[in-house]
Amino acid sequence: MMSELLEILTYPFVYRALIAGALISVCASVLGVILVLKHYSLIGHGLSEVGFASLSIASALGLPVMLVSAPAVIIASFVIMFVSQRFRAAGDIAIAIASSAALALGVLVSSLTGQVSAVSNYLFGSVLALSDGDMILAVMLSLIVMGVFIVFYNRLFLLAYNEDYARSLGINTTLYQFVISALTALVVVMGMRITGTLLISGIIILPAVTARRLASGFRSLVVMSGIVSLVSFVLGLAVSFMINIPAGAGVILANTVILILVRVIF
Amino acid sequence: MTERLRLINAVIKYGDVKAVDDVSLTVRDGEFVFITGANGSGKSTLTRGIAGLLPLSSGTITRTERLGYVPQVEEADRNFPASVWEIVITGTQGRGGLFYSMGSRRRALQAMDELGIRDLAKRGINSLSGGQLRRVLLARALCGEPELLLLDEPCAGLDAESHALLFSVLRKNVASGCAVIMVTHDASDLEGIHADRVITLSHGRIVNDE
Ligand SMILES: Nc1ncnc2c1ncn2[C@@H]1O[C@H](COP(=O)(O)OP(=O)(O)OP(=O)(O)O)[C@@H](O)[C@H]1O
Ligand SMILES: [Mg+2]
Repeated sequence: MMSELLEILTYPFVYRALIAGALISVCASVLGVILVLKHYSLIGHGLSEVGFASLSIASALGLPVMLVSAPAVIIASFVIMFVSQRFRAAGDIAIAIASSAALALGVLVSSLTGQVSAVSNYLFGSVLALSDGDMILAVMLSLIVMGVFIVFYNRLFLLAYNEDYARSLGINTTLYQFVISALTALVVVMGMRITGTLLISGIIILPAVTARRLASGFRSLVVMSGIVSLVSFVLGLAVSFMINIPAGAGVILANTVILILVRVIF
Repeated sequence: MTERLRLINAVIKYGDVKAVDDVSLTVRDGEFVFITGANGSGKSTLTRGIAGLLPLSSGTITRTERLGYVPQVEEADRNFPASVWEIVITGTQGRGGLFYSMGSRRRALQAMDELGIRDLAKRGINSLSGGQLRRVLLARALCGEPELLLLDEPCAGLDAESHALLFSVLRKNVASGCAVIMVTHDASDLEGIHADRVITLSHGRIVNDE
């Protein structure tokens, strides 16, 4: 059993999946802490639908997916943030409208152009089909997300804790809200390959919710969220590999099982 | 004497309602000012305006950048997953740097010592009592070496010992040139320290200043 596992690790497609997936899972879950605390959880979901629409269009036009999706999702994240700032209560409604409209558009384009199978990779993820280029891109984007998160950590903490108070310290809260949006957009774009657009919001939200039971401070919460996400990813990937189900489903199920266990035990 | 705060004809509105109405006020270094008045007379609104959390509808404000502000505790503060240390040290922010310097850490520890909450450092703020949380917020305000301390009912929920502690800490700060503005309902607060001025608000206006 052990030697079989070790042998599996020597397949390039497996270690590519492990490296890219682990980094993206950690990024998503760390950012997820802030999104959950600020009740922005829905944003990840909304953006993933926008991501889906943009990649249907990209594959219909024969353009590289990243080139279309990354800008589209980032712009969408700014629009959503802007709308939810302006019209507080209407924020959720705006996200719901934007995301279902985007999903419908995506379905329309992909069925008209007969690209359904290519698109379904993105719906459910295809982490085991990553190329070297995909992996390098994932590593670079993850490093950017983590770097920005670490550099602005103290500011993001204040923003999550209490916007009024952050403002009284002279911190430009609007700026950091857009920083959060941009990071979320990057995570969603990367995550589309791992869990697929349908499940990406799960790897953003679930680990943070699990970790809340395990941490009393903010930093420990961030660290625990990352650990929970990493463990869930590796477990989920292993299980999906063994019983041959889409990796995204395995990862989300692992996250869910850990969440339930932690809730029951602690 | 250096001015720490100058308000001229300040008006703050919620919608069409003037919660602060034509308030002019100058506070200098080393001054200790009480603000009193009935519930709803506009005390918190005035302090929030001074702290820069609410815009003035008209009038002008000039104040020192080095502000320590202790709000009337909000529920949002209570449930947040952060440790006492993580909250206290934020008081040293607002000086531009992205990371906390050794000096900031030292001042945060010192403020926690002064208020007797050092042993709570690792506790989550959601596990504190009301009075303990208030001390945390005070330590936070103090560790930024403020030139103006703005305290909105800091004595609510403090026991006699903490009360005495608070006033001795405030006295020390006033002696070193910090100006203090404290909102209070409680006449007995006025005995804890020699107030230079007691300002009474009614319907958002200053009706007494002596
Ligand atoms: N967010 C708000 N929106 C609308 N009106 C408000 C708001 N906050 C306060 N008010 C109103 O403004 C007036 C002044 O309120 P404020 O909180 O400043 O009073 P206060 O003097 O601090 O009272 P207390 O002694 O109860 O703390 C009150 O009439 C209050 O109802
Ligand atoms: Mg008040």
